[in-house]
Amino acid sequence: MTMTPDDYSDLNNPDIPIPDELKSNIAITTLDRIYNWSRARSVWPLLFGLACCAIEMIATAASRYDPARFGMEVMRPSPRQCDLMIVSGTVTKKMVPQIVRLYNQMAEPRYVLAMGACASGGGPFKEGYNVVDGIDKFIPVDVYVPGCPPTPQALLHGFITLHKKIEGQSIMSVPWYKKGQSEAIPVPVLGPDLIDPRQGELIQAASEGEYSAQFETDENA
Amino acid sequence: MYGLGIIKGLGVTLKHLVETYVDDFRWGVRRYTTDDGFVARQSTDTRGIFTVQYPEEKLAVPERFRYIPFLVVYDDDHPDHPGEIWCTSCGICTKVCPPQCIWIMRGKHPETGRPIPDPEYFYIDIDICMNCGLCAEYCPFDAIKMDHDYEIASYDRTTAHIFDKAKLSKPLSYWQKIAPSRALEEHLARETK
Ligand code: SF4
Ligand code: SF4
Ligand code: SF4
Repeated sequence: MTMTPDDYSDLNNPDIPIPDELKSNIAITTLDRIYNWSRARSVWPLLFGLACCAIEMIATAASRYDPARFGMEVMRPSPRQCDLMIVSGTVTKKMVPQIVRLYNQMAEPRYVLAMGACASGGGPFKEGYNVVDGIDKFIPVDVYVPGCPPTPQALLHGFITLHKKIEGQSIMSVPWYKKGQSEAIPVPVLGPDLIDPRQGELIQAASEGEYSAQFETDENA
Repeated sequence: MYGLGIIKGLGVTLKHLVETYVDDFRWGVRRYTTDDGFVARQSTDTRGIFTVQYPEEKLAVPERFRYIPFLVVYDDDHPDHPGEIWCTSCGICTKVCPPQCIWIMRGKHPETGRPIPDPEYFYIDIDICMNCGLCAEYCPFDAIKMDHDYEIASYDRTTAHIFDKAKLSKPLSYWQKIAPSRALEEHLARETK
């Protein structure tokens, strides 16, 4: 990310008076750089895969493409220890509650990479009865990697894209140092169909409206 | 005897390990610093196991490699039709596309209002495209082809990953470059038609 002098003045800590000639506060920007440099070089992914894309993710994780070169070789089996969730594959409705729960359990800063057409937008199963068209309907996605499946090199390009995003963030504005806790995403409920609790009122209103309309026509008939 | 398979497997791994270093001695640093070394390392008859140092060195993709489709247009220096798109907006690709990720609208003649063989809009949602290549297979005008560019990850789906006509259009010379033998084959087939 290229920075203009205005960006630097945003980074200045208002509690410390800085003489005008030193306005491009070196201390805080350097801290940002060290902070982001260390974060971007140790992004640990969560060890989980959903469908065929996972096979390609496994191929990427092996020695041939070796993500250890990016400090990413440690796939953690626990969401508490990882920074990156690679949603690799078809997101079935049955899997969504688990994915959202894992996302909630990950410690911030956390990132999500949607790998492949299925995880990004539904892909070949877009209108399937049992498939969610895109994990971004439920959790925020940082990087989308198109392809079915993305080749290992395409996935590595996705990792590099993510590193660029991490390097563009500033310790002053990142949400995880703001006051208060971040809101957990309500875990969807899998009944006869998948229900997103955030849309509960909408669903209720719609179903009530439908029912009353139906009753009215019945009475009129 | 139990366990024989495991010992054989370990033997294969050991062989790869030894071969990697044996070939290193034969080539020396040339293996990692020269183009010849890279080609030899990534070829199918190489011995030993190597890491592709991805952003610095990239594996050559085969000619029939498929990623996202692109639309063929004439080069800007073409004598008769500079920059003209090959697509006639017949809509066959939209019908065969299994996940239905192509969306096109036929253009209209500005005066008469009659349809013309030129798409006004042509969108492909590359986050739905399954890289099957059916569009390229079925297009009767050779106007849509499969691209080799896989470095298209980005941060936003709606702005960056819905490719429009301008983003999809690539010159014919690009297709001839990435798939020389197929481009020639198609050219000859068109000539003899
Ligand atoms: S995008 Fe393609 S390869 Fe990946 S999970 Fe979906 S169907 Fe499988
Ligand atoms: S790309 Fe080919 S098949 Fe698709 S609308 Fe254009 S001419 Fe028809
Ligand atoms: S490659 Fe397949 S999925 Fe992609 S646009 Fe063409 S027909 Fe559709």
